[in-house]
Amino acid sequence: MEVLERLFNAALIVAMLRTTAPILLVALGGSFTTKAGIFNIGLEGQMLLGAFFAVIGTIVSGSPWIGVLCGVAAALVLAYIFALLVVTFRANEVVVGLALNILASGMTISLMKAIFGTRGSIFGHGLVGLPIIRLPFAKDLGWFGQIISGYTPLVYVAFLAVPVLIIFYKRSRLGLYIRVVGEKPEAAEALGISIARIRYTASLICGVLAGLAGAHLSLGYTTMFTENMSSGRGFMAVAILIFSNGDPLKLLAGCLLFGFSDALSLRMQTTLGVSSYIILAVPYLVALAALFALSYRSRPRLIQETLATMGRALSVKPNGASGS
Amino acid sequence: MSLAIELKSITKRFGSFVANEDVSLAVERGRIHAIIGENGAGKTTLMNVLFGLLQPDEGEIFIDGEKKVLPNPAAAIAAGIGMVHQHFKLVPSLTVAENVFLGMEIRKGGLIDHKAQIARTAELSQKFGLRVDPGERVGLLSVGIEQRIEILKVLARGARTIILDEPTAVLTPQESRELFQTLRGFVAQGMTVLFISHHLEEVMEVSDTVTVLRHGKEVATRPTAELTKADLVQMMVGRAVSFDRRPRGPVTGKPVLEVSDLWARDERGLQALKGVSFQVRAGEIVGIAGVAGNGQTELAEVLSGLRPASHGTIMLAGQAIQNRSARAIRHAGVAHVPGDRLVRGVDRGASVAQNILMGRQDQSPWSRFGVIDRTYLNEQTKRLISRFDIRTRSPETPVKSLSGGNIQKVVLAREFSGDAGFLLVDQPTRGVDIGATEAIHSEIMRQREAGKAILLISVQLDELIALADRILVMFAGRIMGDLPGEGVSEEAIGLLMAGVESAPAEVA
Repeated sequence: MEVLERLFNAALIVAMLRTTAPILLVALGGSFTTKAGIFNIGLEGQMLLGAFFAVIGTIVSGSPWIGVLCGVAAALVLAYIFALLVVTFRANEVVVGLALNILASGMTISLMKAIFGTRGSIFGHGLVGLPIIRLPFAKDLGWFGQIISGYTPLVYVAFLAVPVLIIFYKRSRLGLYIRVVGEKPEAAEALGISIARIRYTASLICGVLAGLAGAHLSLGYTTMFTENMSSGRGFMAVAILIFSNGDPLKLLAGCLLFGFSDALSLRMQTTLGVSSYIILAVPYLVALAALFALSYRSRPRLIQETLATMGRALSVKPNGASGS
Repeated sequence: MSLAIELKSITKRFGSFVANEDVSLAVERGRIHAIIGENGAGKTTLMNVLFGLLQPDEGEIFIDGEKKVLPNPAAAIAAGIGMVHQHFKLVPSLTVAENVFLGMEIRKGGLIDHKAQIARTAELSQKFGLRVDPGERVGLLSVGIEQRIEILKVLARGARTIILDEPTAVLTPQESRELFQTLRGFVAQGMTVLFISHHLEEVMEVSDTVTVLRHGKEVATRPTAELTKADLVQMMVGRAVSFDRRPRGPVTGKPVLEVSDLWARDERGLQALKGVSFQVRAGEIVGIAGVAGNGQTELAEVLSGLRPASHGTIMLAGQAIQNRSARAIRHAGVAHVPGDRLVRGVDRGASVAQNILMGRQDQSPWSRFGVIDRTYLNEQTKRLISRFDIRTRSPETPVKSLSGGNIQKVVLAREFSGDAGFLLVDQPTRGVDIGATEAIHSEIMRQREAGKAILLISVQLDELIALADRILVMFAGRIMGDLPGEGVSEEAIGLLMAGVESAPAEVA
């Protein structure tokens, strides 16, 4: 019991919300492209580039806010290239996304080497992180106040974006058109809605959020840039997007699950002394299990039919002498 | 009477192909005006010109007496014309109201006002007698209701003239009847309906005036009341076509297919076949009649190996074939013309030659040592193309670019060119135009003369009466009656189809 108490308390929830925020931001960005019918595997690269240029911008200007803007701008450029190739030139989404991911990874490493003469990570150089926001009324709320106060600003942005997106898809014209373009492009076309324009818009909004996610990683979550610091969060977001279909609420649930297992694994490492290698695999195992459980129920008709046919084939005698 | 629409000398060419040649059309306001013609006669082209989707090379368009140029559908919509396409363009995850107002959302303070949209949709639905639930998601609705939504979309945009392209192709008979009622309601309110069809009964039933197109030219425009079905056929096809009973000799062959006490379940696990027994003899066409959904589909699937039988036997020339694989059943001597040709009949993306080959690609002389003999395939395909009169540019043309009738001829060419003794023919002329229907009927008769045993499943009674030696009527998974094809009336079949038991049914 004592062990459990040390594992599960308000601090764990705080840790969960902290680890959830970056993946939530990038996944919310991906929600736009998913809803618009684009399989955006380039989230990882946009996030990484955002993280890198947020650091550069901060070091150069001295202001983390300008750093955030730089990170967003960099991610936007990558998102624009993605849209140009995928929407205008109709290139394969997966190939383009992977290529841009590799580009982002290589570019950040070589720029790091060129500018700072080092590999590995950047810190110091006058790098300052985003300020922590303490809600003034949180003190009076006891443990709940503890949970909702004391994060860097982009954490709040991430969680507040969820209800905003719900309303966006439900009530705004752009949100509606993004859904229509993703679900039934020919319907959009028949009504004179430009598919290309909607997909560009969705890709660029996605770039903004992926950039914010990156900036949060290097200026909020930590105050440094490390090689490939997005460490698969973009891919995790893609996985969550597939089973949530881009719906903000389901997506939040998926991100929280990931954040929770991430936070729990960190806890277990310090509290229980389990090998860190096993611990590091926990969030991914949880995500895999969740993905499997969810997709098994809503597995596509094709798979269902295949299984049904196989079942039938096995239940029928092969020589055809059954029946009577 | 004022004219709602007047097209004067419209000509539309695609390259060297003339789709419409000097076509004039005058449509009076408050009428249902049918435009009929065979596939490829230029009906849809003409309507696309009127809806601004295509620009005519020559000719003028007048709407409500005013000359108009319609560069795009938006201009046509502004002029009060609405079009309901054959293929619906609805978004499944949106509600009925959202679909109706898509592209012209009602907004309040920048956000979509769902309440107002639902109220407006309900109002339109009320006014025009198109029953829908505005708040329901479209993905859950039937095709008939989807069509109502498409019509509501057009009405919400203020259309006074509505063009419907083959509106009944996807509807059940009940839904069609409801649609006609709605259309009559429209004209009673002073609107005008343009109705494209190649279905004669419908045109006779619903239209006030009819224009016949043939090979891109206008053949005639007359009040429907002055015409008979035979007149329409003659004008559409350009020659007299008869769907009377085909003359034939008596059936003398031995039984080829013997089905006894066959049971099977449908998709939902319910009993779809409840002890079906019958025989088909060599040189005999046995027809299966019935309202769709009374077990005919399941019967065809069980006979072709696509669905397991839970009980009973199927003997083909003395050999049990029930519950064997589709492939084994084909090898045993069953040819199958599936009811849904685009799903099970052909691979749409593949060429005519590939579709002719399909199913025997591993048999000599079509292939040797695992390699397809292209010369042989090409020769055979060319032979079958001319023998079955398949209108295709070449054997390499993808099947999806052929018309429905020609796709069906590809299926028949493949299935009838094997050496199967039993032919399972399901809805051979569904969606096929008159000329092709006649050709397909002749081909089925030719197979009968060649001594094949044929099971013909059809929802079209006139087809069964024209072709079948005996007609079995299915109702709720059972055979209700076994009627001779000679001298049978549609009424007699219809009663059995409705499940009304006549004199003790004789089941062979």
